[in-house]
Amino acid sequence: MTSPLPTRLRDGDLAVETRGLTKRFGDQVALNDVSLQVPVGAVYLLVGPNGAGKSTTLKVLLDLMRADQGTAEVFGLSTRERAPEVRANVGYVPERPDWGYGWMRVGRLLEHHALYYPTWDASYAEKLVQKFELRLERKMGVLSKGQARRVHLTMALAHRPPVLLLDEPTDGLDPLMRDETFGVLADHLAESQTTVVLSTHHVEEVERLADHIGVLRSGELRAQMSRADLDAGLRRYRVEVPDKWPGVASLNGKVLRRVTAPREVQWTVWGPETEIVQKLSSAGGTVREVVPLSLLDATLALLNPND
Amino acid sequence: MLISLDPQDTRPIYVQIVDEVRRALVLGTLGPDDPLPSVRDLAVKLRVNPNTVSQAYRDLERQGMVYVRRGQGTYATPGQTDGVERRTLADGVAQRALHDARRNGLGVNELIDAIRNHDNHRQTEESL
Repeated sequence: MTSPLPTRLRDGDLAVETRGLTKRFGDQVALNDVSLQVPVGAVYLLVGPNGAGKSTTLKVLLDLMRADQGTAEVFGLSTRERAPEVRANVGYVPERPDWGYGWMRVGRLLEHHALYYPTWDASYAEKLVQKFELRLERKMGVLSKGQARRVHLTMALAHRPPVLLLDEPTDGLDPLMRDETFGVLADHLAESQTTVVLSTHHVEEVERLADHIGVLRSGELRAQMSRADLDAGLRRYRVEVPDKWPGVASLNGKVLRRVTAPREVQWTVWGPETEIVQKLSSAGGTVREVVPLSLLDATLALLNPND
Repeated sequence: MLISLDPQDTRPIYVQIVDEVRRALVLGTLGPDDPLPSVRDLAVKLRVNPNTVSQAYRDLERQGMVYVRRGQGTYATPGQTDGVERRTLADGVAQRALHDARRNGLGVNELIDAIRNHDNHRQTEESL
């Protein structure tokens, strides 16, 4: 008996859903049968190494890119057939802003952007401009990466869309501004009913915000679950073992990591704690410690390439 | 009352918030009928998902430590039998200490002796 990593959520209303998304670039598979489920109101963290398919997934959700197979929906609207409606409901911070507004001043760009969104909240936009210390007279083309990111965050948040897709939202920001950004996000979530899909390499920053996690590796969705399930099911076991210990046959769980040293072994296992402790003890080990993992450690374990 | 979270603490965040409020009630930094920060303010301050703060406040309400005035906010319940809260806090401290002791291969008695010795030592130093 082993417990495979869950890749499907329990039933509930979904804000974003993909079914069997597959995308190839030449002979390279960017997405392989990805079925994402993002519940309404969730803060969903999409993690994975570079090239795992995070940005591609977000682009498909906005119909900026089309999948070879599979479907994607935002609030039940096909992203392919109802793209304009979908975009009206989404605030997006791209990983690489590569569109041609370099000549435009920040202030002008915000005005321009506001025209497309009937729900644009001008006083909120003004507040964000202050929080993010935007300089409206500067041209987009001369902004640093971090400055451009703050402009995009303002554009994404100020129309209070029901869905936010944030691709590395704090990339290029200094530590103070990163911290400020999460304050702004927490405030935003308290004020507006919002579903967030967020990708970041700085997992520790969203430890206290993310309530769902999806783990992408080489284009495959390796695990997908709520934070509550993750917290309940994943543990690190530190065990003292006798000399020349033969080991344990099966642990009733999925072993994600195993670190051995003389007379001591540490396992990171997805599975039922009581049964795993029992197995370890009856195999002659002394379980010294059973601890839950931080979101960052959990991510590293779930991404473990040795399997 | 100040609420702060320990990044090393791996307990769920709502549990940590509940414990911080319990601590403030026992210490008296949160007095009877004092208001708690709004969900929004606390979420922003701690950079925490507002749903997590709501969950903590619901839990506090369920345990009778706070009460809600509709449309106004959340307040500390007066006349709390703080003996109960003190015991809950002590229980938590004991649990963490035991966990750490076990991790280091120490037994309960060894731990208790060490605490006594340490405290005696500290008192002697203070009286010098």
